[in-house]
Amino acid sequence: MAWIVKPSATMKTPGRAEPYLTADHRAQYERDILPRYADRQGALLPILHDIQHRHHCIPWQAMREVAEFLGIAPSEVLDVVSFYEEFTTEDHRRGKYTIGICQSIACEVCGHPALLDHLRARLGIEPHETTDDGRFTLLAMECLGACEGAPCALINEDRHDNLTIERLDALLDRLP
Amino acid sequence: MPVTEPVLTRRIPTAPWGDPRDRRIIGYDEYVRTGGYETLRRALTMDPSSLVQTVKESELRGRGGAGFPCGLKWTFLPPPDGNRRYLAINCDEAEPGTFKDRLLCDYDPHLVLEGIAITCWACRLDTAYFFIRGEYHHQAKIVERAIREAYEKGVFGGRGLMQACDFKVDCHMHRGAGAYICGEETGLLEAVEGRRGWPRLKPPFPAVKGLFGRPTIVNNVETLAAVVPIVDRGAAWWKSMGTASSIGAPGSYGPKLMGVSGHVNRPGVYECDLGIPLRKLVDEFAGGMRAGRRFKGAIAGGVSMGILGPDQFDAEMDFDIGRRYDVMGLGTACPTIFDDQTDMVAVARNISRFFSNESCGQCTPCREGAQWMYRLLCRIEEGDATTKDLDLLNELAGSMGIIPGTTICGLADGHNWAVRTILNKYWAEFAGRVKPSYHGLTVSAGRADGVSSARIVGATGA
Ligand SMILES: Cc1cc2nc3c(=O)[nH]c(=O)nc-3n(C[C@H](O)[C@H](O)[C@H](O)COP(=O)(O)O)c2cc1C
Ligand code: SF4
Ligand code: FES
Repeated sequence: MAWIVKPSATMKTPGRAEPYLTADHRAQYERDILPRYADRQGALLPILHDIQHRHHCIPWQAMREVAEFLGIAPSEVLDVVSFYEEFTTEDHRRGKYTIGICQSIACEVCGHPALLDHLRARLGIEPHETTDDGRFTLLAMECLGACEGAPCALINEDRHDNLTIERLDALLDRLP
Repeated sequence: MPVTEPVLTRRIPTAPWGDPRDRRIIGYDEYVRTGGYETLRRALTMDPSSLVQTVKESELRGRGGAGFPCGLKWTFLPPPDGNRRYLAINCDEAEPGTFKDRLLCDYDPHLVLEGIAITCWACRLDTAYFFIRGEYHHQAKIVERAIREAYEKGVFGGRGLMQACDFKVDCHMHRGAGAYICGEETGLLEAVEGRRGWPRLKPPFPAVKGLFGRPTIVNNVETLAAVVPIVDRGAAWWKSMGTASSIGAPGSYGPKLMGVSGHVNRPGVYECDLGIPLRKLVDEFAGGMRAGRRFKGAIAGGVSMGILGPDQFDAEMDFDIGRRYDVMGLGTACPTIFDDQTDMVAVARNISRFFSNESCGQCTPCREGAQWMYRLLCRIEEGDATTKDLDLLNELAGSMGIIPGTTICGLADGHNWAVRTILNKYWAEFAGRVKPSYHGLTVSAGRADGVSSARIVGATGA
């Protein structure tokens, strides 16, 4: 929901001395990603996926570095980061485990609300929040394309179908 | 003639022909061993325009939701001018209730890749982007591996297998990142170009000016998979399945993947003739209603299409469904079934929440209308609304979309149809949840002071 909140163009953002895009990353992007697209901006989503995966967010400084690398404005990078749900800014860094409960129609009529309520109680957070220890982020997601296994959830990249509170607890207990 | 053998699910065990427990990923070798890539090989010896003609004759209609004739779309391409021309494969599949493309990606990715290669040859396209939704992590890996295999074996990249002719096609994976709107074809193009997925105004249509300003065909995964058997066995064979239109519209031919979810015993994807009555799909394929309950309604095919009411269980699942049963259309042909204990106000509220979350925010009627309708529905559900709110809801819903002419893309039409059809087909249920807007006026005449007293009882209007 990119249209709700956007930091102003004049905002100050944190940074660090060490770059997020190392020479190795740049070389790899040049070799594997950029040749696929007619212009450099085309590579933006694949590169952001890589950064989000490594850092559980897209750090502000990384946005500036990516902008410089692709020859686009930092605001264009922020524009994309804020639009797509999978990308998060530094102040919404995802936990070690992101648990996304599907809340769309098939899952609702097959009992997702009980799962979500259980996790709110168990983790002490609301959807789209992260536990203080940085371990869990809880999400209420829209249809995961697995309605035959409703209610279902994604835990990081793995989908689990036909969930019950007991199965969900067992899955969480087993996480390292 | 009905579907007598699995077509798109030939290698994916699916009831009634196979047991889903036997499913596994079909790799390149097994795909080739079972006749895979033979159709491509043959197609490459044929004139591309004859392939377009075959697909046109088959009357294949797009499987992504709009049902647009596939061959016709292909003819909108301008003639090649030596520069890039693209194919964008739509595997966004984020429409709630829909999970049919996932089946193909999960188990038979090479079927889709073969369809991609044939389409690129037929339409003279040179670069394909396989756009897959971000949440399909597992599927992206499977398809990516299949693409790598296809490159190694020379299907893509213009080496090996296809050296005989000037067939050189590149195919790249492009992952989305959690935005339903990127399923809309021009939103998808924006996402591939590295921008937020704001749909574009049409015209120009993608076939003329699409990716990076170049001609682009956007097709759904299942549509592309269907191209393979059509080219292999011909248009007449394809048209022997499915059904002609009963109202003089274009026909609904071929088999269709239908994903059934909700209150049924065996939810899953089944391959059926277009035109199969919903009741038959539920009873014979999906194992009947769960716990012996009664049918109360069904999302026709993805929430955007609206709802089939309690008396529409026999609706035929074909492209005429929209005009015959007062829904928007067949959509993805993935119905979600509701039993008699389902709260339809909650269903409407859930769907409205989806659209208000997923509106890209570009058009005011969609962005604001979505929020407004969602809040109204929450109030109705909580028993905090009045009869007038139902009329307001109807009016609001009816005002947004391409059809009323107020928005850029069809997301708003989906919201419009979903809410309006649920509200109107279950009006009594909604009416029972709201307070009356007006109360009677009691006039007691003839008071001693000669002034009539009018008492308005709890006026709660708006
Ligand atoms: C809001 C919206 C979402 C859509 N989502 C999808 C989708 O997830 N997958 C898809 O194939 N088509 C989707 N479509 C339809 C596409 O715009 C387009 O019609 C389709 O991909 C064309 O392919 P086809 O002709 O092969 O069906 C969507 C349309 C709209 C308006
Ligand atoms: S109709 Fe809605 S989703 Fe479509 S472009 Fe307009 S605001 Fe975006
Ligand atoms: S509604 Fe939950 S996976 Fe589709």
